[in-house]
Amino acid sequence: MSVLQDIVEKKHYSFIDGEGVTWQEAVRLSALPLVADGSVSEDYYKQIIACIEKYGPYVVFDHNVAMPHTTENAKGAFKTGVGFMVCEHMIDFGEDEDGEKKEANLFFTLSSTNPDEHMNNIGQLSQIFMNDDLLDALAAARTPEAILKAEADFPCEED
Amino acid sequence: MSKLDGKRILACCANGAGSSLMMENAIKKVMTRNGVKLAELRHCPVSEGKSAARNYDVVMFAKPFAKTFEGTDGANTVLIPLKNVMSDKEIETALKEQGLLD
Repeated sequence: MSVLQDIVEKKHYSFIDGEGVTWQEAVRLSALPLVADGSVSEDYYKQIIACIEKYGPYVVFDHNVAMPHTTENAKGAFKTGVGFMVCEHMIDFGEDEDGEKKEANLFFTLSSTNPDEHMNNIGQLSQIFMNDDLLDALAAARTPEAILKAEADFPCEED
Repeated sequence: MSKLDGKRILACCANGAGSSLMMENAIKKVMTRNGVKLAELRHCPVSEGKSAARNYDVVMFAKPFAKTFEGTDGANTVLIPLKNVMSDKEIETALKEQGLLD
């Protein structure tokens, strides 16, 4: 099963408007589906926020993709999973060390307890994050069906 | 034969769980494409990477960690900050600029 199929199957997705939402609040919201089925604790997201506050918005990649995460086997992480969130409006993460504006409308928030599953997720996410057509389709998705259709329409190359 | 044959590469990120893994995957891709046989390729958190850096030939990390690594390299360690940790193209170009890949 692909990571996007897994997200749909486990209902680890959310779609929000995002207007005026801080990045801290967005990180919390992106983790809610993971909280809902016990993949992470209610305050797991606070560790992610602390990490981004410490190191800056390095979890925001090209193409407005954010991958908020902490360390493997973090406190409050009970299952390996990915919380996927699409925002209608861009979430502002401030500026990076070069003064470049960082913002995201796609969130892939990670929880990891199982190294093999996590490695598999990360490998697939790397492919997804380099697939601009798929990212555009995911950003336009407002239903779980649209997530699956995006993946079917713009499959990632096999390594 | 490649200049990188038998070399050791380390990929670092804040936690050693997210972007450093992505970097490792991208580095692997570059090595396979260029027929390089590394002696070692691993990833770890920057906290560990700072002290481990001197034992590696090349250390790669996302640009925000460049300051953290200042002055931690050994005499033969090449430090390479990356803008996009998933980009095998950027990694390949950086290694070529350093004269480590033809």
